[in-house]
Amino acid sequence: MSIELLLALITGAALFGVGIYGALSQTNLVMIMMGIELILAGAMVNLVAFWRYLHPDTPAGQMFVLIVMTVMAIEMTVGFGVAIARFRAKGSVEMEEATDLKG
Amino acid sequence: MITAQALYIGFFGLAAVWFGIVVFRTFSMVRSALALLFSQTALGAMFLSMQAEFLGVLQIMMMATEMSIMAIFMVMFMMDPGGLGKMDMTHQKRLSLVAGIVSFVAAVAVAVFVDWGPIASVAPDAAQQTVDLGLELLGRSMLIFETAGITILTAMIAATAVAIPPVKRNPSKGTANHEH
Repeated sequence: MSIELLLALITGAALFGVGIYGALSQTNLVMIMMGIELILAGAMVNLVAFWRYLHPDTPAGQMFVLIVMTVMAIEMTVGFGVAIARFRAKGSVEMEEATDLKG
Repeated sequence: MITAQALYIGFFGLAAVWFGIVVFRTFSMVRSALALLFSQTALGAMFLSMQAEFLGVLQIMMMATEMSIMAIFMVMFMMDPGGLGKMDMTHQKRLSLVAGIVSFVAAVAVAVFVDWGPIASVAPDAAQQTVDLGLELLGRSMLIFETAGITILTAMIAATAVAIPPVKRNPSKGTANHEH
């Protein structure tokens, strides 16, 4: 295996791990979204690396990256919509306080 | 053999991971957003190092805008956006740390132990890549591309609908009052 591919995959794995830590440990909705952004960034690095070092003649690999970017944008859009609604209703985006639906 | 490309990938990869860690280490929400911006920009530079020119430039442009908006929202939503009060906004730290480390180790194990097959030494040049991607998007993958566009539009409408204040109709007067 080439060192370049290995470095890219390790970077993707590290971003994924940091993102998992952030998404699970943070109590603020916007910070949780940042964790998810890092998880998706890790996926993107892997996709670019796989395209470049395994299948550079297949543009579908790059297309997948565009789809992940779309998912990131959608996550931000919906997340901020929910954050605004929550802030308007409760005056905070702390997820520790979001127990309204708790049975 | 360590090539210049490997050095660049390693450097920008390290920068991306380091700034990713800084996101959750600082008390200031604005600094967190800026750290995420730097992390994503380093990732864009890493894409450029991997000869994915279009994606690299797109990543830098898109994330610069996205993270600037995120920083503005941080200031709007936080009582202490500067982080001077050093308030702790974390929970289940140990569990999160274990989950993060386990995912990292598992992903690295897959990266190291899987046989990825032959490695391609050359990639198409930037112009050819853009042509190929354009033909892919408007050809074989057009349905997926169009679905992504429609999904973004749906998300924008849904987010706006959720975010606007609810209107309470007053039946006796026939007027609409915004609820605050």
